[in-house]
Amino acid sequence: MAGYRTRIEIIGDILSTTRDDCQDEQGATVTYLIKKANVSYPRLSEILRMLVKQGLLEVDRTRSSSKYRISENGREFLLAYNTFTEFSNDYGLNM
Amino acid sequence: MEFLLENILNMIGFAVGLAIGLMSLIGFRNTGSPTLFRLTIAFFAISAGFLIIWVGYLAADFVTKSGDIERWVQTAGIIVQTVGYFFIAFSHSIKAFLPKSSYFRSVGVVPLFLISSVQVEHIFRSISFILLAYGAIETILSYLDTRNRGAISVASGLALLALGEFLGWYSFVFPESILYTTSISIKIAGLVALFIPVSRLPLTRIRIDDGLDGEGDEWEDEEGKEDGAARRKEGKEDGAADTRGQGQTATTMTTAQSPPAPGDGGPERREPKDGR
Repeated sequence: MAGYRTRIEIIGDILSTTRDDCQDEQGATVTYLIKKANVSYPRLSEILRMLVKQGLLEVDRTRSSSKYRISENGREFLLAYNTFTEFSNDYGLNM
Repeated sequence: MEFLLENILNMIGFAVGLAIGLMSLIGFRNTGSPTLFRLTIAFFAISAGFLIIWVGYLAADFVTKSGDIERWVQTAGIIVQTVGYFFIAFSHSIKAFLPKSSYFRSVGVVPLFLISSVQVEHIFRSISFILLAYGAIETILSYLDTRNRGAISVASGLALLALGEFLGWYSFVFPESILYTTSISIKIAGLVALFIPVSRLPLTRIRIDDGLDGEGDEWEDEEGKEDGAARRKEGKEDGAADTRGQGQTATTMTTAQSPPAPGDGGPERREPKDGR
């Protein structure tokens, strides 16, 4: 049965996508992230704004589109996130 | 012999609870996860409970020289431990009930408590047993879901603690038997099993940062958990490989780097399926 993702899990999915599954070196577009991270546009745009503000994502704006790629801080956060996801899974819990 | 074993048990309980609590705290401060926050409270409470009893035994040995712990100190320690076990069970109950049942969301989780008519200590021992048994069962179910081997060790640990609590409670019926010593030994084994997943975490570079405001929220997304879970699993494997490769983990986020969770998100807040 499908469950629900918490906010932190959605953030983890977005960061994982920008790290492992980017369209090109410049990053991923919003449309691509909506599809890959499976998040609605309003939710995604709010989270992206927050992640850019916190320095976990870098944005490359052109006239036609904005592309998002993971920053060094984002990579570190993702490693921490993966470590503690495993930790909470060990206790039978989700993040 | 029993006195020595009690001291060893409480020392190990204090150390293991503190270690797991600290690790959960580091995780909470780095990620803002509410689950890790509850684990932090749980294990700090368990650690504090063991510490209270340990101090009680030490005081009985060195200060009052009575040779036996004050009953109220033991009861206080057991109550504090029970609070910790409650938070473990509560985390599982949120995971098990919250997304599915609006009934449980509205009434909260009211565990079925077994009330004994004897002393308060035994009431709390029986409550601890129920909470631990519940935690162990949920952890086993989680293992069946995820096949995460760490969950086996935690489930065994909780089950052994539950058995230890049960035997400790039952020894009330046969006070001078070997039951109590057996109970203490089993609880020590349970604590060691609980510690195994923490001992596997790479500790290098993990530190506690100051001033993090990463209060987590728990509003959830109804969109495609399975896809997300599959991707997360892949990501996790990559992440684990990275960690192993570097021999360290990057849990050194600072306040500014940690993504803040919106403060208005409560556990019951959800978005409709289309996310609008």
